[in-house]
Parts: sequence; C-alpha cells; structure tokens
Amino acid sequence: MDPKTREDLLKLFQGKLNEAMTFYLETCTRCGVCIEACHVYASMGKVRYIAAYRQEIVRRIYKKYFKARGNVWPSVGDAKELNDMALEELYEAAYSCTGCRRCMVYCPFGIDTQMIMSIAKLLLVGAHSEPEILTLLADTSIEKGKSLDIFKESFLTGIKKLEKDVVKKWKMEAGGTPIPMDVQGADLLFVALAGAHSIIPTAAIFNAAGENWTLSFFEAVNFGAFVGDPGRTQLILDRIVKEAKRLKVKEVCICECGTAFRVMKQLAGKQPFKVSSVTEVHARYIKEGRIQLDRSLLNGVVTYHDPCQIARNGDVIDAPRYILKHLTNHFREMSPDPKYNWCCGGGGGLVALGEETLDFRMKSSKVKADQIKRTEATTVVTACENCHTQLCNLNDHYQMGVDVKFLSSMVADALVQK
Amino acid sequence: MNTLYYFVLIPMVYFSFTVFFVGTGIRLVKIFRKPKQSTSLQIYPEKRPQWLWALHDTFLFPSVRKHKPVLWIFLILFHVCLLLLMIGHLELFGEFRIFQIIPHEVFLGKGFVGLILCLAVLFFLFRRFLSPVRELSVPEDYYLLILLFLIVLFGSQMDWARRWYGYEELLVEDYRTYLLSLLTLKPELPYNVINSGHSFMLVLHVFFANLFLIFFPFSQSMHSFLSLPMNKLRRG
Amino acid sequence: MSEEMKIAKVMDLKGLPCPMPILKVNKGIKEVEIGQVIEVWSTDPGSLSDFPSWARTRGHQILKTDQNGDVTRFYVQRIV
Repeated sequence: MDPKTREDLLKLFQGKLNEAMTFYLETCTRCGVCIEACHVYASMGKVRYIAAYRQEIVRRIYKKYFKARGNVWPSVGDAKELNDMALEELYEAAYSCTGCRRCMVYCPFGIDTQMIMSIAKLLLVGAHSEPEILTLLADTSIEKGKSLDIFKESFLTGIKKLEKDVVKKWKMEAGGTPIPMDVQGADLLFVALAGAHSIIPTAAIFNAAGENWTLSFFEAVNFGAFVGDPGRTQLILDRIVKEAKRLKVKEVCICECGTAFRVMKQLAGKQPFKVSSVTEVHARYIKEGRIQLDRSLLNGVVTYHDPCQIARNGDVIDAPRYILKHLTNHFREMSPDPKYNWCCGGGGGLVALGEETLDFRMKSSKVKADQIKRTEATTVVTACENCHTQLCNLNDHYQMGVDVKFLSSMVADALVQK
Repeated sequence: MNTLYYFVLIPMVYFSFTVFFVGTGIRLVKIFRKPKQSTSLQIYPEKRPQWLWALHDTFLFPSVRKHKPVLWIFLILFHVCLLLLMIGHLELFGEFRIFQIIPHEVFLGKGFVGLILCLAVLFFLFRRFLSPVRELSVPEDYYLLILLFLIVLFGSQMDWARRWYGYEELLVEDYRTYLLSLLTLKPELPYNVINSGHSFMLVLHVFFANLFLIFFPFSQSMHSFLSLPMNKLRRG
Repeated sequence: MSEEMKIAKVMDLKGLPCPMPILKVNKGIKEVEIGQVIEVWSTDPGSLSDFPSWARTRGHQILKTDQNGDVTRFYVQRIV
C-alpha cells in the first residue's frame, strides 16, 4: 500500500472517531464475556469470529495511528500497521459479521461491534476492496433517485400489472385503485421492496383496512448501509424522505426489510412524518378492528424469528407476537428472550452477496438451524427479506422441513372479507 | 539506597500522580468533546428509567453474572475490594468519620481484603492463559494484571505484617506523617518509613503503584470512567 | 435499432426476485464482447426501473424494452 492511500484511508478512519466510537475503541478489556455471543463462533468455533477479536482487528490500527502509545510503545497493545494484509483481515472480520449486535447484549460495557465494523467497511470502500456487488446495487438505487422521471412511466406500468393479484386477495369496490401511487396528501407512504411478494400482500391489507395509502417509487432496502458507506446510505435514504415530504404523508411505513427499517427509523433524524414497520401497522389494524383474521388456516406449531434490526435493534417486539396470536393458537417462542435470539446469519449484506457467501452462511448459522429445530415448529415466520431468504436456504441445507413465511403474507392470506 | 528510596517515594509519586490526573483529565475532556453519535445505539426492549438501568449495568455487571458466573464473583470481589482499599488509603491521610460508621482499625477487613484482591487478580491472570481468552488478550492486559498483583501483594504484606505477625515497626501514624507531608507539598520521610525492616515493601508497593498510575490514562483501565456513559448509550 | 439486432446471449431471469436480476445481468454482460447485445427476461416489477438505473451507473445501454404480459424483455448493449 502506498503512503498516499494509507493517508487517505486514515482520514476516513479519523472521520469515524466520534464520541461513541472512541468509547468503544478505548474500552475493551478483552474479558471474553462475548465469546459465546456470536453465532459464527458458536457454529464454527474459530477464534477470529469472537466479537472482541473482530473488534481488535480494527482496534489494532486505531492503537497504531490514533493513540500516542502507537509511536512510543506499539507492542503493548499489539498495534498493527495499516497495509494490504490488514485490509484482508478487515474484510474477513467485517463480512463475516452480520451486524446483529447480539454481542452488544453480552458485553459488560455494551460495545457495539457493528459500529466498529463500520470502520472496516468504510476503509474497504476507500481502498476499493469492498464487495463490488453491494456498491453496484447502492449505485443503482442512487441513480434511480436522481432520474426518477425517466423510470416513472415504466415502473407505473409494471405496478399496474400487479393489481389483479392484489384484488384476488381483497376485493375492492368498483373505482378503487388497488395500488395507489403518487397520491398527494395520503396518510401513509408504503416503502416496499421491488418484488411482487413485498407489495401484493400488504397492498391487500391496506385496502382491507381502508387505509389512505400510496406506494413509494423507491425500494426500501439500503445497500449503502450494507457496504458501510455513509454517503451512499444517506443518498439512498434521502430519496424516500424527499418523496414523503413531497406527498406530505403523515407516516412512512417500511416493508419487511430489517436494514431499511433501522436506517429509516434511526438515521432519518427528526422528520414531519412518523416511521413504522409494516408489522406495527398491521398490528394496529387488528387492534382497531379494521381487519379481521381467520385463525383456522394454520396447522402445527408456529414460531417467529425476530429479525435483529427490527427487534433487538429496532424495538418491534410485541407487534409480531400480537399478530400471530390472531393467526394461530400454537405459537411457540424460539428464544426465551427476544434480545438473545440468534441472528439468521444473513445480515450485513451477506444474503445480498448471494451464492458467493452461501457456503459460509450455512456453516456459520448451524446454531440458528438447531434453535429452529428445537421449537418443533412446522412454520417459521419472519418479517425481514434477508432473514426470509437465509431461513429458506437453511431450511434446504439442514433439511428442516419447515415452511418459511413472511408475516405480512400470512396476514393477507387470513383476511376475512366482510 | 536512601537516594533510591527517596526518588521512588517522593519525586516519582508526584510525577505519577500528575500524569494520572492530568492525563486522565485531558483524555476524558478530549473524548467527551468529540461529536456525539447522531443515531440511537440502544438495545431493545427498553427498560425505564434508563439511567437507573445504566447504573445497574455499570456497577453490577448483570451480563457477566448471566453468562460467566464464576468470573462475575471474582469481578465483584475485585472491584469491591478495590474500593475498600481506596477507602483504606484515604484513611492513611487522616480520620474520616464517615468511614468509621462501622468502627474498624485502619485498613478495613483485617487484611483479608488484600488477600481476596490478590487471589482475584491471579484468577484473572490465569484465565488469560487459557484459550480462547488467551487469543483475545494483548500484552497490555497481562502487564496491568501483573502490576496490580505486585502492588497489592507488597501493599498487603505491610498490612498483614502488622495484623498477622505482630510486626509493629511501621505504624499507621508513620504513613500518615509521610502522606500528609506529600499532600501539603512539604515532603518528608519519617525515620521508620525508610529504615524499618519492611521499608523495601513500601518502596516496591509505591514503585509499582507509580507505574500503574502513569500507564492508567493510556490503557484499557480507562474503562472505569467510560463504562457508565457506554452503558447509558446501550440503554438509550 | 434495426430489426436484425444480433443477440449474443439470452438470459432467462424469470421468477428471480430483486436484486438477483441486476446481479445476474451485471455478471452476464461481462461475458459478451463490447458492442454485443444480450436479451434478458425478467418478471420482477422492480427490474423496470432497476435495469435502466443500473445501465446508467455502469455505462451500458438499454436498446429496447418489450413488455409482454408479466414478462419484460430488455435488450442491453455492452458499451464498456
């Protein structure tokens, strides 16, 4: 690595050193309480997957360049130089971490490994060593935000084609629009993923509840967050914020996507609209009696996988359980305490990297598969696209023989037409 | 020899306390003046009031109790004994009525506090020799524990000598004279302090304590100040 | 755009959810020569906006988009 590159990368590093990050980098006592916290370590048993070890990969560089000690006595903290080999280590640490923050629950100080890994990810972006796919997807999202007018028409036609499927799930009165778009003054802006499965069921539920809603032109997922690029993350987020303000909606409802929800809820800052997850909105409809569900459709034990970014990191814990109570009498918890739920193993962009990471994802999530098997459930429900894909992969790999379902589509299927 | 004793017991003490207070102070001010994290770092579900739970997490280590109960026992013993010894040292400066609510001879705990602390430090140290904590540890972690062990061992020796073997040459009054003279910036070394049979222990105790104080602001020991704000971030 | 546009490769991405079509086409286009055209079939509604945005960021050109029922056919020319 040439000195200029190193200098640039260290500038990026410096930019991440706010108060909280400095707490996290200064404090670890390497006590080892986090050892059993990481699903990758619990499944694969390699020391490099222990949270404190991952952190130390970043912390060693911090000790070298950002502590006076790094010049005087680097060996006392195993300070390491930032070079090509360090970049490889950073890659391995950051892209084997799903950012689930389960270790943060274990740490006596509450060190946020995901946040420390965001330094690793940013350095990789700076060195152009990040997974190209994630940058590609992030750039595509940003481009879509920049030139909405060019794609608007074709996207509208695409959405029109989905409407017949929405009506199949919930018959509307004549003249209604099954998937309203671009509605000024709608109460709720629904930000979905660009796939039919993410739009159709929830559209039917909105119509059943008589919601005054409108569908966003943009997909919710934030690939910028996966790749750890704050600039791109913000640009992708801004598209939706701008749209919500333009339409003057009261509420932005994020589809079943963990990253999207966390980014929108915690990164958008103070806005004139409220941010909710689709799960919270559906629970509200049931509570207010706006939709009725048929409880007789499901047989066998049903369990729910809490997506890390939505439950532990996003505070949507009771809503899915409330909904499931209206869908089945045979609900069984997966983990005695949702904040200790194992990550599915697909977060942090690993699922988006597709087959490239499949082998690792399967090996690193053995504990998740075991946890699901222990519930003896026949249906595993979740509320996150990433988790869903990963759980389906696990189901195939470990031959669990379960049905992996989205909570929203279960609600849509159980709608009782009055 | 006397010059060496003098150097360790007076100039080096002043130096290390300066480094400790100024270093820790400057470092903390620098850290707390950095820009605040703009987004939430909270873990859910939330419990209120959050500041009370943050205090609970900081001082009772509930996550350690849950996941490593043996370590937790030693951690609690270690930190409680550390606190008791700090009180003990304050009492070497003079009488504090507040500490005498439970009447005791100076250095609470009849010598057992130091003993427990020694054992706890040894436990931490040997724990670090076992995988996988060994792979996580860096030299700093060992150095700090070894330093602490030496400090506590030599310090406690003086206490044990008086308490357990009836060695009465170095008395609380001698320490008081010495420490108060340091505090009032008129340093003097009473005859007993440097000429009794156990003076070398005092000198070694102070020497290692000086090293520890000098290293403190630049080491992971800063967790003593940062733990509370970090736990507050997690609690929201 | 001539009627006899030569297709170097056809990619059937029907049924794949977002973002798989983009990932596949991004890989697929690298397997043809610069200047050649690939034909891509997708059923993912997001593709209608994703493909043009992807092409713009990566400097490729979408020559034609045909919609036929649920299936959309894109004709993409590799430029770089």
